Amino acid sequence: MKIKVNFSNLKNHQNFIFIIRLIEEFLQKKGYLKIDLPVLSPTLIPESYLEVFETDFRYFDKREKLYLTPSPELFLKRLLVEGIGSCYYLGKSFRNSDPPSSLHSFEFTMLEFYKVKANYMDIADELLEILRYLNEKVKSDFALKINLNKWEKISVIKAFEKYAGIFEKELFDHQLFLQKARKKGYQVEKFSYEDVWSQIYVSEIEPHLGKNGYPTLIYDYPKEFAALAKLNPDGKTAQRFEFYINGIELGDCYTELADWKEQEERFLKEDKQRKKLGKINHPIDKGFIQALKYGLPDCAGIAIGVERLAMVFLGFDSIDKLKVMDIIL
Amino acid sequence: MKINAGNLKKGDFILYQNEIWQVQKAEFYAPGKGAALMKTKIWNVKTGKNIDITFKSGEEVEVVEVESRLMVFLYKDNENLYFMDEKTFNQYSVPLTAVSGLEKYLKEGEKLYVYIFNDVPLSVRPPLSVRLKVVKAEEAVKGDTVSSAKKPVTLETGAVIMAPLFIKEGDIVIVNPETGEYTGREGK
Repeated sequence: MKIKVNFSNLKNHQNFIFIIRLIEEFLQKKGYLKIDLPVLSPTLIPESYLEVFETDFRYFDKREKLYLTPSPELFLKRLLVEGIGSCYYLGKSFRNSDPPSSLHSFEFTMLEFYKVKANYMDIADELLEILRYLNEKVKSDFALKINLNKWEKISVIKAFEKYAGIFEKELFDHQLFLQKARKKGYQVEKFSYEDVWSQIYVSEIEPHLGKNGYPTLIYDYPKEFAALAKLNPDGKTAQRFEFYINGIELGDCYTELADWKEQEERFLKEDKQRKKLGKINHPIDKGFIQALKYGLPDCAGIAIGVERLAMVFLGFDSIDKLKVMDIIL
Repeated sequence: MKINAGNLKKGDFILYQNEIWQVQKAEFYAPGKGAALMKTKIWNVKTGKNIDITFKSGEEVEVVEVESRLMVFLYKDNENLYFMDEKTFNQYSVPLTAVSGLEKYLKEGEKLYVYIFNDVPLSVRPPLSVRLKVVKAEEAVKGDTVSSAKKPVTLETGAVIMAPLFIKEGDIVIVNPETGEYTGREGK
């Protein structure tokens, strides 16, 4: 790996910084409290689909493992339990094993904000306001050519039916789903429902999202992808949405799961899966479960990749264009 | 040879649905739910068709060893390009459909790499650039000083490209044969 200076991107980079300023301006006006947080933590939320960076703290003979945080969620939710109210973090997050590409960087800027007494659809309303605010303030030649007056909302169930010809019955039944995938020409042997689901989602659904003149909000993912989101009363889907502009996923939102028992079960499952996949064996954040026991207020939160968001607003096809300093392979 | 799709890189040849394709673009993509993926654009060496395929990064893909052999371009007709292997004097033909427009920038006698699989020629590796003589160029309109302004010029192979206004007949221009873009003028 080496350091690359991209001085000719300075102007783009300034526009990126300007977008960050606009986001903060908006959130603070709306009463969200800005919080700065550590990026090194001795424990993490176990997530099987991502890899983390591991390092250690040394003091004479004493050594202790630390991990770069892939998201600020473990810290912000502790503060929500303390009663901090609506708040946000805008800063670096880290994901190992993500080689740099037009949409990925192993070190990136994440905006994560939580709203109390709210669910995921309340966040959707707030988010649309942010997008409109950015579009008004960012110089007009960069403004998005799409209508930001409303979302194109589509459920995951509808999207699979419309774009992939996979019906509700097949979508939730693992065996039927894999059979259907095999018929469509996908390799299913040795792969899980989640893996194949994700492949079909990216191949057949994502390319259509955020391309019908409006930003798209795709919601209610199967419970296998609930992560830290609350389940819907149907028991099959979780209150999670992602939003897209021009086929690019920009953010991921949950109505936050407050039930500590259910969260603990999901953590154990994810941890087991991490071990099976041979991923870095970091300690599970038990303090997080303790905090939930104390009581997480009703809230919803969203994580947004800020480079991607800026890239879309500034009309670039890669996040590279925003960087004056980059680490490349 | 089977490899994980996560290791695919631009230029690799793969067997996909019983046909040989070359990887044009391979980009890692982690959607944050389920497996990490490899988004690829692949090019069918027979038909010249491009398609987007997303593989799971842990999915096995059959990579085929395609040989690239330096050959002399002899001539073309309405269907094929004809090449000769200078070592064996064997002649090979590559269908025009497999080179997607490249033929417009090829001069007879030029040496090019031909992709061969099981002694069957599949396609031609596009050179990064070709140098071609301008045989026809209109005089630039006086007063048009916009530096980005371009005009059509005809090259010795018959291809017409857009070049800067200062290009004259007899100039040797450097062209990207994959896009037909002017990239420079050879110094005199």
